Amino acid sequence: MLTLYRPGTGWMHRAPAGPKAFVLLVLVLAVSLLPSTYLAAGIAATVTVLGYLVTGLGLRELGRQIVSVRWVIVITLGAQLLFLQTEPAIANTSRVLAAILLAAMLVLTARVADLLDAFERGLQPFARFGVDPARVALVLAVAITTVPVLIRLASGVREAQKARGAGGGLRAFVIPFLVVSLKHADDLGEALTARGVA
Amino acid sequence: MTSEPAAAPAEITPRRSARPVSRLAIDATDIARIAVFAAFIAVLGLPGGFAVFGSVPITAQTLGVMLAGAILGAWRGAIALVVFLALVALGLPLLAGGHGGAGVFVGPTAGYLVGWIAGAFVVGAIVHAGRRRLTWARTILGVLVGGILVIYAFGLPVQALVTRIPLPETALQSLVFVPGDLVKAVIAVVITMTLQRAYPRAFRTDRFVGAGGASAVQSTAGAASGTAPGVSSGTPER
Repeated sequence: MLTLYRPGTGWMHRAPAGPKAFVLLVLVLAVSLLPSTYLAAGIAATVTVLGYLVTGLGLRELGRQIVSVRWVIVITLGAQLLFLQTEPAIANTSRVLAAILLAAMLVLTARVADLLDAFERGLQPFARFGVDPARVALVLAVAITTVPVLIRLASGVREAQKARGAGGGLRAFVIPFLVVSLKHADDLGEALTARGVA
Repeated sequence: MTSEPAAAPAEITPRRSARPVSRLAIDATDIARIAVFAAFIAVLGLPGGFAVFGSVPITAQTLGVMLAGAILGAWRGAIALVVFLALVALGLPLLAGGHGGAGVFVGPTAGYLVGWIAGAFVVGAIVHAGRRRLTWARTILGVLVGGILVIYAFGLPVQALVTRIPLPETALQSLVFVPGDLVKAVIAVVITMTLQRAYPRAFRTDRFVGAGGASAVQSTAGAASGTAPGVSSGTPER
């Protein structure tokens, strides 16, 4: 299954998903509010490296995360150097990068199912405003399981087009893909209705 | 996440339709369509799809935003985007280029992601205004305003705030992406109008229950062309 989760047994992995999300968000917010100076950039970088070290994710994982956001770095730094001085440009880029890397620690150490449960619990206070946490969680769970199904449908559409020698344009692909997806949605709706979801 | 949480709302939700306030009706068919559309947008961002301009992460996902509003209507389109972004926040690598996790909501493009929700809503509101039959003019207007203007209206200020580059310079820098957006807008309009002829039951837009009494306003396109066999299958009557 496609996920960003990295299996592990460290204390960060064992921590409950809800509080972990809260603490990381506070940390990310704190980093985001740092000023645009070299000192602040150093603090942001230090916090990030320390974070990956003390949680047992390690520097190799940190490196992998940095590579995965290389386009964000290139585009952000390029624009900054174009419009600002060198110091704020470097400071701003490292601050943005640190925030992204720190936030990534959540999904690296918590399973999607655990986060979904935590999310459902977090929605309970909104029940009085008409939000139905169980229904929200149902939609999310159905969507998660639908992604691999649609990937399969998409490759089916592409293979059929290849077999007919049709061109690979975006429009030529999306229309049939959209129709088979919507047909799948109708089947899914009937299945949900049959299981008592009104 | 089996039948247990699914069974609970079944006995609660229909009862609420007696409330005096008009309330968006989301039934099982809508849940399925919203979930499938969220997954559809995810698949549009997967690698190996379309090599747009080499490997630069320009995404077909904004095409999905436009189509969500145009096909599902304002509310359901916006909800589909909320579901998609919730999956991203829960750590699925569904954004173009395999990105995901809470990190994307603190990065420079966070505002655009929030703008997708509002954008899908505005696309749906304009395209399906007055619940009449789809027209080329209204579809074009809706896709341009909701799919491009609204998204930038949310994205640019946040980008300027996060990168601390003044707004005019940020806007200038983002002009690079406008041609791609216009191409996607044209494709979205053509797909929407084609779908109206090829698969009219695709358009099952917002219905409300409660006050007002319009309990089941059916698909405008389907009703007008008469080719859709009702929207009956899988749609329990309320």
